[in-house]
Amino acid sequence: MDQPMADAPAAQVKVTFTTTEADLQLPESKRQLLVPADIRRYGLSRILNSESMLDTGSIPFDFLVNGSFLRTSLEDYLTSNGLSLETNLSLQYVRSLIPPVYEASF
Amino acid sequence: ATHLSEEDGNARPLRDYAEALEMWTTFQTKTQALSQSLSSQLRLILTPTQSTKLSGSFRTGKRLNIKKIIPYIASSYKRDKIWMRRAVPSKRAYQILLCVDDSSSMLPSGGGGGSSSSSSGRLALESLVMVARALAVLEAGQVGVLGFGTDVFVAHPLTDPSLASSSHEAGARVLQKFTFTQDGTDMVRLLRATIDHFADARLVSGARGGGNQEDLWQLALILSDGLVQSRDHARLRPLLREAMERRIMVVFIVMDDARESKKGHSVLELKEARFGPDGEIVIHRYLDSFPFPYYLIVHHLEDLPGALAALLRTWFAEVNA
Ligand SMILES: [Mg+2]
Repeated sequence: MDQPMADAPAAQVKVTFTTTEADLQLPESKRQLLVPADIRRYGLSRILNSESMLDTGSIPFDFLVNGSFLRTSLEDYLTSNGLSLETNLSLQYVRSLIPPVYEASF
Repeated sequence: ATHLSEEDGNARPLRDYAEALEMWTTFQTKTQALSQSLSSQLRLILTPTQSTKLSGSFRTGKRLNIKKIIPYIASSYKRDKIWMRRAVPSKRAYQILLCVDDSSSMLPSGGGGGSSSSSSGRLALESLVMVARALAVLEAGQVGVLGFGTDVFVAHPLTDPSLASSSHEAGARVLQKFTFTQDGTDMVRLLRATIDHFADARLVSGARGGGNQEDLWQLALILSDGLVQSRDHARLRPLLREAMERRIMVVFIVMDDARESKKGHSVLELKEARFGPDGEIVIHRYLDSFPFPYYLIVHHLEDLPGALAALLRTWFAEVNA
């Protein structure tokens, strides 16, 4: 009944971006976003930098979820915390403190 | 046989009965005027006093019956019953399913001080009470309630006496079943279950000698925050076509609480981000791929009666065209 799709699109999760950095605020209408659930820090960083979001080029961002840095995919974070894709995850973004050299290995 | 289990109510979490009873009476009082407004608007739409069809053969009438013209001339103008009139409208029977989203996205998550007074879940239950009351007053037909999330359950069977008829007890028992703790929103499963449920209900009503099947109308109202996995949008389209072919009308009512949408949290504003084949970022509006042809967005409960009536009026005009 369910035809297998050649390129099955990923599951999505709804996130809310927040920040305390005054110069990097998003307008309210852009703070909520559906993103692929398998996304990681780097993908989120790229989305935030994109033209339709902050349009900031290539600032590396880190993301805080419930007070700790996101080091896995969102999906893995949800699973290991007993949360489902129904969760609206609050992601606080900060300028990354990780040196750019280290960046490539992430 | 139905695909829905009615006995698994024991396994699912239940809201405290006293709390549910309190909710039912509070919502009923709060929505009394709106419910009356909805039922008087729906009365005009659901029970037409004028048939749209012209038929029969009469000496006088509204429109010529073309098929009678040749015999009329051939009979030297003796067979002169060549006119059609509007027939007396047949009584319509309705089966209506109110499908309420029981998934946890209906409540504000993250515990960020989100009170239950501001949520899609609350708005959906208030709407459920309001619409159920309006339909009960109309005596339009059978009204059932389904709940859905990762699975689908019957909260009130179509064949049961009307919700909200006399005691508040039946209503409270329905509200008890909505706790918004299901950790998925399987809209594909809901549509499949709704179509099958209606197919069974049509057979049952036919077997009971419910008369002309043509006059049975089936309507599903989905009360939800509208958040469906986008990958399911494509899988919903064939099901929506199937529903249409079976003359089931599906109306999606998006619960978009104004207090949330004011903060930019409206589903109208919601975007989705994807990565294209070359890794490029593509951002577009979530509702752009929303597959339901008939949907309306409710920010305030007060919007619902007018919006729902307008949509149903449009739909009936289309099917009668
Ligand atoms: Mg949901």
